[in-house]
Amino acid sequence: MGLADGTALVEMRGIHRRFGDTHALRGVDLTLRAGEIHALLGSNGAGKTTLVRILAGLDRPDEGTVSVDGHLVERFDPKRLRSMGVALVQQHFTLVPTLTASENLVLARPDGWRRGPGRSESARLKRLIAQTGLSVRDDVPAGRLSVGEQQRLELLRALDADARVLLLDEPTAVLTDHEAESLLSVCRSLAADGRALAFISHRLAEVFDGADRVTVLAEGCEVLRDEPVTGHSRSSLASAMIGHESSGTFTDRGGREGTRVDGRLVLAGIELGRLKGINLSVAGGEIVGVAGVDGNGQSDLEAAVSARAEVKVGRVELDGLALIPGKPRSRRTRGLAYIPSDRYQFGLIGSMDLSDNLDLGRVPRWRKSRATRRAGSVSELALWDVRTSGPAARASSLSGGNAQKLVLARELDGTPKAVLACYPTRGLDPGAADSVAARLVRCASEGAAVLWIGAELDELLAVADRIVVLAGGLLLGPFFPPYDRGAIGLAMAGETEGVAAR
Amino acid sequence: MSAVIADQPGTPPGGFVAGLGRRATSGGMVSQVLVPVTAVLAALVVGGVLIALDGVNPFSAYREILRAVFLAKRGLSDTATAATPLILVGLGYSIAYRARVFTIGGEGQYLIGAIAGTAWVTAGGVRNWPGFPLIATGLVVAAIAGAFWGGIAGWLQTRFGANVVISSLMLVYVADSALQWAVRTGIRDPSSFVPNSRPLLAAELPRLPGTSTHIGFAIAMVLVPMATVFMARHRGGFRVIATGFNPNALDANEISKRKIVMLVMLIAGGLAGLAGMVETAGASGRLGAAASVGFGFEAIIVAMIGRLHPIGVAIAALGLAALTIGFESTQRVLDVPSTLVGVITALIVVFVVIGDALASRGRDGR
Repeated sequence: MGLADGTALVEMRGIHRRFGDTHALRGVDLTLRAGEIHALLGSNGAGKTTLVRILAGLDRPDEGTVSVDGHLVERFDPKRLRSMGVALVQQHFTLVPTLTASENLVLARPDGWRRGPGRSESARLKRLIAQTGLSVRDDVPAGRLSVGEQQRLELLRALDADARVLLLDEPTAVLTDHEAESLLSVCRSLAADGRALAFISHRLAEVFDGADRVTVLAEGCEVLRDEPVTGHSRSSLASAMIGHESSGTFTDRGGREGTRVDGRLVLAGIELGRLKGINLSVAGGEIVGVAGVDGNGQSDLEAAVSARAEVKVGRVELDGLALIPGKPRSRRTRGLAYIPSDRYQFGLIGSMDLSDNLDLGRVPRWRKSRATRRAGSVSELALWDVRTSGPAARASSLSGGNAQKLVLARELDGTPKAVLACYPTRGLDPGAADSVAARLVRCASEGAAVLWIGAELDELLAVADRIVVLAGGLLLGPFFPPYDRGAIGLAMAGETEGVAAR
Repeated sequence: MSAVIADQPGTPPGGFVAGLGRRATSGGMVSQVLVPVTAVLAALVVGGVLIALDGVNPFSAYREILRAVFLAKRGLSDTATAATPLILVGLGYSIAYRARVFTIGGEGQYLIGAIAGTAWVTAGGVRNWPGFPLIATGLVVAAIAGAFWGGIAGWLQTRFGANVVISSLMLVYVADSALQWAVRTGIRDPSSFVPNSRPLLAAELPRLPGTSTHIGFAIAMVLVPMATVFMARHRGGFRVIATGFNPNALDANEISKRKIVMLVMLIAGGLAGLAGMVETAGASGRLGAAASVGFGFEAIIVAMIGRLHPIGVAIAALGLAALTIGFESTQRVLDVPSTLVGVITALIVVFVVIGDALASRGRDGR
């Protein structure tokens, strides 16, 4: 551990922040100490991101004080906070996709206005990589780096500015388990150098693996303040986050065998992108989980089944009829609900209001007046528990969980015949994830064929009637309950002894 | 992505035009009303200083403008006539820009509309038709031809990913060359020494009763509320606006984004083509080699000052037309150069851009 161990580098006291009618932070304190990793936990919309944005100078508090290294912050400005040694790695990447890693570094912190990127800059990157063990390729544009590499590059860029206080907003949300582990160990060594780190997370396991202290926020208030992690158990933290003892993951598999209708959603010989001949038939009333590591054809499968992409080889059929690419509205009229993996890109229009977003994909030829439309969507928003200042709010103002509930409200309205759910619980807190899972299970028990592409195996084990594994563009399995984790794990690692799924 | 298409339909360019789409569609009353009104006032103040430098009292110059527009015998009629093509082309731009399809080729679509409409109504066999069917078919032919010209740029974008800004602008020069050929060879009046089409005669637009304005102005004023309703209450308007914000979400749920790019190019082209024929049949009486007078470009400014809203477009077009008519009079009466209109128009643009930048800074809280 470093010399300045335990010194408070950051003190935030009594922070309040309001956005219109929403009181995002109600008097929050946060202390970050040198040599320590501080985990920030909380449900979606609890105010975690707002808190770190304030500390990074991207937002300002309405009340309360922030001091860094004993100096009171008077002007909230990202440049100012960066010069005080605070760096934030945001949830959405801020790299320039057409520039290489070293060019991105130079852009953030130019060391001379005349020279373009050259040898010295790539040396700078190499030195940083050697110091930290965060490996990033420098020979391709940042846009072509893997998600994990982009994350590491973001972190390197923060370290390049010699940040003493590092803030990470859900750093592991997009990473594979292995990448997440190595990121945590890098975080540990950075803390050992006397830096103060804070990360936002939804995964309790990481908190116990990585963090020294934990603060739990709920609806802008602190439930747990600055407590040592060692004094807690998983269940005590989970209950602090969602207010009741979590049973872990949602489990409900019984009682829908009677509703089976064979062959509702049929995928026959699909070849697209990485997919090498996918055959799968999902019965009505059945949940089929697609497990596997991201990048094995998951996005192609999503594009093919949702009819976003034109499938040239093979076909996707719903109740015997093929879906038509280029006619997205026919997807809905045929009864396929689509919960996209990237809800902000394919599910919602951030700059439009909530009632417009509920209309997307089913806009009537002539629309009612804006006031009527908004009034009409109030009950729908309440039914799906979308927490917001009202239907006039923009979709971009919603937190992740509420945004997903908005997508569900639109897609699962009526009685869909089939549901394509792609990472439906990604980035959601356990409470929201459970309610999303429960909605999908209810769809299945009402007779829908549910195809659930998931990343978290535990979740799939809990809800799926059958699991197939997508690895290297092939479907392996199927596996039936009671599930053999070892066999599924082997399939995910690409062990191809299993038979292609039917 | 299955074919070559840019992420954003119009492949937004940097700078002014992109800012126009982004800013004019976001923000509240400040950027919607306050910015353009302040920009116009500021431009008039600077224009007044320039008039004073010319040795004329700016107040008497502006008083003369008001007199010429509101009190002179044909002032209001002339203003309405001058505003008509600006309203029509500006409406098309205002819809296309909401989808972030940044066409600047209204001038070309205007010319193609004028050529096609004139060719139709002066063609042998057709030119002897009675007035109403002749006029109506002429306007329809012009709108279809303009839509076709706009559709070329739309097709180049959706099929090959060609930038609409560039392709629509280049098609203006093609259209102007087509005009030069048409008036010299294609539809030339054989009895005329100057390169000209035949006179439109029975195809000329009748006057509105009690005014000296042609019925093209009435057509424009009917299209303004139609465009307003289309954008606010019709499915198409929703799709256009959604394309501007997130074409991928539209593509995944509602309709192919390429269809919307084509749709707005057809609408913009059709309105510009209509404007070309309205101007030829309403104001000129025949098509000449100098038919390209820049309405298609001035309408970009009209769409911008009008905040991409149909009613705003109408107000902006009438305002610019009034300035033009007024300054023609100040030149006659006070010897103030009428070219000051161009200076003031340019100043309005500069001030609107500055105002938008300030307004968006205010929103970010800096």
